[in-house]
Amino acid sequence: MTERVLVAMSGGVDSSVAAAMLVEQGYDVIGATMKLFCYGDDVPDRPCCSLDSINDARRVCETLGVPHYVLNLESAFGHDVIDNFVSEYAAGRTPIPCVRCNTFTKFRDLLRKADAVDAAWIATGHYARTSNGELLRGRDRSKDQSYFLWGIDRSVVRRMLLPVGEMTKPETRARAHDLGLTVVAEKVESQDICFVPDGDHAKVIARRLGGDTPALARGPIMLGDGTVVGEHDGYARYTIGQRRGVPGGFSAPMYVVAIRPVDRAVIIGPREALLGRGVIAREMNWLVEPMSAGARVEVQVRHRASATPAEIVRVDSDEIELALEAPVSAITPGQSLVLYDGDRVLGGGFIERGGAAARTALPVLAA
Amino acid sequence: MPQPVYLDHAATTPVRREVFEAMEPFYGPRFGNPSSVHRWGREARASLDEARERLARCMGAQPDEVCFTSGGTEADNLAVFGPLRSQRAKGRSVIATTPIEHKAVLAAVHYAARDGVIERMLPVSSTGVVDLDQASRLLDESLAVCTVMWVNNETGTIQPIPEIADLVKSRGGVMHTDAVQAFGKIDIDLRKVPVDLLTLSGHKIGAPKGIGAIFIRRGTQIDAMFHGGSQDRGRRPGTENVAAAVGLARAAELAVEEREAETRRLGELRDALEAGLLAKIPDAVVHGRGSPRAPHILNLSVPGTDSESLLMALDLAGVAASSGSACQSGSVTPSHVLRGMGVRPELAVAAIRMSLGALTTPDCVTRVVELFPALIAKARRLSGAA
Repeated sequence: MTERVLVAMSGGVDSSVAAAMLVEQGYDVIGATMKLFCYGDDVPDRPCCSLDSINDARRVCETLGVPHYVLNLESAFGHDVIDNFVSEYAAGRTPIPCVRCNTFTKFRDLLRKADAVDAAWIATGHYARTSNGELLRGRDRSKDQSYFLWGIDRSVVRRMLLPVGEMTKPETRARAHDLGLTVVAEKVESQDICFVPDGDHAKVIARRLGGDTPALARGPIMLGDGTVVGEHDGYARYTIGQRRGVPGGFSAPMYVVAIRPVDRAVIIGPREALLGRGVIAREMNWLVEPMSAGARVEVQVRHRASATPAEIVRVDSDEIELALEAPVSAITPGQSLVLYDGDRVLGGGFIERGGAAARTALPVLAA
Repeated sequence: MPQPVYLDHAATTPVRREVFEAMEPFYGPRFGNPSSVHRWGREARASLDEARERLARCMGAQPDEVCFTSGGTEADNLAVFGPLRSQRAKGRSVIATTPIEHKAVLAAVHYAARDGVIERMLPVSSTGVVDLDQASRLLDESLAVCTVMWVNNETGTIQPIPEIADLVKSRGGVMHTDAVQAFGKIDIDLRKVPVDLLTLSGHKIGAPKGIGAIFIRRGTQIDAMFHGGSQDRGRRPGTENVAAAVGLARAAELAVEEREAETRRLGELRDALEAGLLAKIPDAVVHGRGSPRAPHILNLSVPGTDSESLLMALDLAGVAASSGSACQSGSVTPSHVLRGMGVRPELAVAAIRMSLGALTTPDCVTRVVELFPALIAKARRLSGAA
């Protein structure tokens, strides 16, 4: 009997090609589109449930001759991803919802649906690869999405199929044309977070927490020494390293270097103030045998950044501290810290803070 | 794979051969517009009038009391909005309905409520039947329209429409019932039941999608929803869908002719299915059990499972069922009907509706009685492991 695979299909080109390739490879493919949220009445052209993308996925499955289902994961996604997204911003951090969606929604909740239909495998259109139960970066470094996948359960990696991880984006588009998937072949890639349709995350925060939440209220912009130099209209509109909305008139360009919810302060400083040589992350998840202090790894503190050599200084139950070999700019609480060994993804966590790293063999600069 | 099993007749039914044949000439030589003065028009008009007469006879109505619509949703909307203006002119501004209505009624009522109409919900029992005592208290002289479906599309429960209609008439309200799932399943004689408005849909009884009808009792004041020509006395402007109207009339005649035999046949199959499943899954909960139910619907929940996964697994095994409520995207959402009956949420999300009809044979029942408990056992193993 052929092996069954449940393919998470967003209606985009990557997951469509993934499904098509698996059909070619002889798998018994089942397509599934997750309905994760409703835009509500705010977005007139996308009435409910991002219906267009569901329809695109359905049409692709029809072309491929495989069944397609819509899975309603709205309430779990709202809780695991959107609520967290909002509370992270309220805590002065910059969340990364795609990581939590992968961890909880795709590779936990969707996996249960795979079990329910006897699918041994689960597939997505991520640019990443697996090998011998380990997760690897995508072949195309410019598209690599392994940064978003560190949170999945290690045992799940053995059940994942990531067919487009071996290809470049242009190759994927070319495959889509070859396969006759014209509906999706030239779809523009969205850079937005899926549930923030127009990139205005403050709107989502306001809807969940109310327009009068402190995170969106006026507050001071100040220097590191406490000098107030301006005013902002909500610290949740700022992220570490941001220049937009920061006052000028200084000898050097100024950047957001810290966000302090307790007095709603956005603290700015020069470029050098963004540099950190240490980083602490929490909710650490290992995709290999857990490593201990003294181990040498490479780390990435944001998507599409280059990896920096580092040494593990401390590992507690779910917290990790690393010393970086070279200073890294804008280490942002809430973003992910991902540990690599070349192409191998070792694990990751959510950044608690950057800057000073104590008790280290390496010289560490305080930010 | 063995022959697929279609157990979703409450969603839609295949067009019957007799219906298809009755419609065929109207996609060929008899293409005329019923409003035209020439021979082609006369032919079409004659066929349309005849269809109206035949459909009227199927429910004890006069031909002029039958108005063809695009389907059940349009008829329901006309029933909710149509009487409002004249009723409100008499100081009547309450629409009474139940929480277990079809969305075509509920959404229309909610919309009307945005415009100053007062919405009043008649409570239903845990087995899905309107409580007549409470209805009697809630229906008063402020009533404009009362709308209650005759047979519930998710659970099959039969509402006491004659009794509710009597109450409504005694309070001076307009009584509507959505009989989309009732027609062909229970005896409908509008000479005996004092409803003013009644909704029918073609595709639930072997006619095509896109045709329905509303019975409008003589003397009921109705404002049209659409405005245009004077077709159907201006109640429903727009060139009539002659072929579909003929198809609906034929399907309705067949449904009435076969009603007694077919309801007996379906009732036996449904009871066998229900008994077979309960024997193997003793803790399954049959929604609406204990109330009078139409013979073609079985809705049950098995604790510890979820309908979304079960429907996928059933489909992959060749069995078509439903959760009773699906949104436009095709995803499964918790049923408002079961919520309205007070079913616990963890049970409501497990609901599976199997609806029987023309395609259902004893073999189908045997297959499902074998297959379904196995799927349930697996679903429970997984949820126990999770």
